[in-house]
Amino acid sequence: MDRRSRRSPALLALFCYALAFLCFLYAPIGLLLALSFNDSETIGLPFKGLTTRWYGEVLASSEFLLSLANSFLVGLASSVIATALGLTLAMGFRSEFALKSVIMKVVLLPIIIPGIVGSVLFLTFFGLAGIPFGLWTTVLLVHVTWVLPFAFLTLYPRLHGFDRSIEEAAMDLGATPFVVFRRVLLPIVRPSLIATVLFGFTLSFDEFIRTFLVIGANRTVPVHLWTLISGQMAPFLPAVGVVIMAVSITASVIGLVLAPAKQSE
Amino acid sequence: MTGALHSRRRLRLALLVAPATLWLVIFAIVPLGLLLVMSFWRTTIFGFSKELTLDNYRTAFSSWVYVSVLLDAIKVAAITTILTLVTTYPVAYAATRLRGRARSLFLLALFVPFWTSYVVRTFVWLPMLGRSGFINSLLMGLGIVGEPLDGLLYSQATVLIGLVYVYSLFMILPIYMSLDRIDPALLEAASDLGARPARQFFRVTLPLSKPGMVSGCIMVFLLAAGAFVTPQLLGGTSGIMFGNVIASQYLTTSDWAFGAALSIILIVTIFLCMALLGRGVRFEQVFVAGGH
Repeated sequence: MDRRSRRSPALLALFCYALAFLCFLYAPIGLLLALSFNDSETIGLPFKGLTTRWYGEVLASSEFLLSLANSFLVGLASSVIATALGLTLAMGFRSEFALKSVIMKVVLLPIIIPGIVGSVLFLTFFGLAGIPFGLWTTVLLVHVTWVLPFAFLTLYPRLHGFDRSIEEAAMDLGATPFVVFRRVLLPIVRPSLIATVLFGFTLSFDEFIRTFLVIGANRTVPVHLWTLISGQMAPFLPAVGVVIMAVSITASVIGLVLAPAKQSE
Repeated sequence: MTGALHSRRRLRLALLVAPATLWLVIFAIVPLGLLLVMSFWRTTIFGFSKELTLDNYRTAFSSWVYVSVLLDAIKVAAITTILTLVTTYPVAYAATRLRGRARSLFLLALFVPFWTSYVVRTFVWLPMLGRSGFINSLLMGLGIVGEPLDGLLYSQATVLIGLVYVYSLFMILPIYMSLDRIDPALLEAASDLGARPARQFFRVTLPLSKPGMVSGCIMVFLLAAGAFVTPQLLGGTSGIMFGNVIASQYLTTSDWAFGAALSIILIVTIFLCMALLGRGVRFEQVFVAGGH
C-alpha cells in the first residue's frame, strides 16, 4: 500500500511543490549572498564581477563592529537572565497553586502584544519613569522581558515530565534545596538550559522593533542595519545582511546540536 | 512538624515563582496599564495634560484615515493568514510523507532561513523586486518586458509577499506537528474500509490537523496585524499599515497620548479577532510551537 501511494503522481506533485517552496525561501537569500560579492556600486544586477571588498568594508567598519559587540553582549546577558527567571518559574510551576493559570496568561503577554505596541509600551514606561535610554538600561530590560516567555515555555515541558521522587528522596535524606538543585535537577536540565540560552540569544540578537524606540544613541546589529537601509542604500548592505545571518544561524545550529534529542522532535 | 514542613515548601514555591512574576508585573502589566491611562491623556506642548478624556479615541474614530488603515491592516493580516495557510499546508504535509534523514534535512532546510532577523528576511526582497532586481532582470532577459517594471516594489501586494515570506514558518510548524501526531493506524483503517488516498486525506488527515492550522493562523494573524518592518520597507505609501501609523506618532509627530490610544485600539482589535478565530485554543501551546 505504502509503496504504491509513494509512486503516485499526486505525491510526486506534492514533492515538486515542496521543492518550489524551498526555492521561494532560498531565492532571495541566494541573491543576497551573490550580491554581497558583486563588484558594483549599486545593489542589484547585472553581476559585474567577484569582489570581497564589501566584506572588507563591513568588517572594517567600527560602527558595525561596535553594534555587533553590543548585540552579542546584550543578547548573552538578557538570555542568561531570562533563562534563570524562566527556569525558576518553571520549577515553581511543577506544584499546584492558586494563581497559576493567571501567571500563565501574564507570561504570554510579552509575546501576544504586537511588536510595535510592545515598543511603544516600553517607550512610554521608561520615558515616564525617567530611565535613561541605552543598551544596558532599557534595551537589556526589554530583551529580558521579550526572551522570558520563550525561555519559560521551552523549559516548562522539560521539567514537567521529570520524576520528582528523586528530588524528594534527596530532600528526605537532608539535602538542602540548593544541593538538590545542583546535584539532581541541574544535570538533567543542563542540555535544555544551554539550548534555551542560545535560543534566547538569537531572539535578542534578531530583535529590532522592540529595541528601536528605546535604544537611545546606542546601536544593536538590527538597528544599525535599519539605519543603513533607511539611509542611503550603501553597496555593502548585502554583505551586512550575510554577516548578520551567519551569526544567528551559527548560534541556532549550536543550539540544535546541543539540544537534547527530545527537542528536535 | 508537618505544618512547618508545609510552610517551608510554600516559602520555597513563593521564592521560585516570585522573581519572574514580579519581573512581568513591573515590565509587562505596569507598562500596559500606563499605556492605557496615557491613552486618555492629551499631549500638549509642555508635556501631558493628565485630565482623563476620550479625545484621542474620538479623533481616531472620527477620521476615516485611521479607521480605514485599521480595517486595511485587518484585511491584509487576514489575507496573509489565508495565503500562508494555503501555500504552506502542502509543505508541512510533504514533510510528514518523508522518512528518516530526508525528513530531518527537509525540516532543517525550512528552519534555516528563519534563524535570522525579520529585518534581514524582509530586506532580501528589495534586491529581488527592485528596478535592477532579480525578477526584472529575469523578465527582461527572457524578453517578456522591454523596460524594468517599477510596480513590483512598494505596493500592498509586495507587503503580502513579504509577510507570507517572513512568517510562513509559524504556520508550517504547528501544522507539521499536528500532522505528525496522527496515528497511522487511522489511515490504515480508512484504507482497509476502502477509502482511496484522496478520501483518506480529506476525511481523516485534514480534520485531524485542524488544531495545528488554528495555532498557525492565530500566530500569523497576530504577527501580520501588528507588522511594522515589512510594510515600512516594502509597502511604500500605498502599503502602509496600522503599525506604521502608530510608530509615526512617536517618530515624527511626538504625540504620545494619541499613539497610546492607537496602540490600545490595535491591541483590542487584534484580541477581538483572535477571540473569534481561536475559541477554546490553549494559547501557551500556540507559542511553544511558534517559538521553535
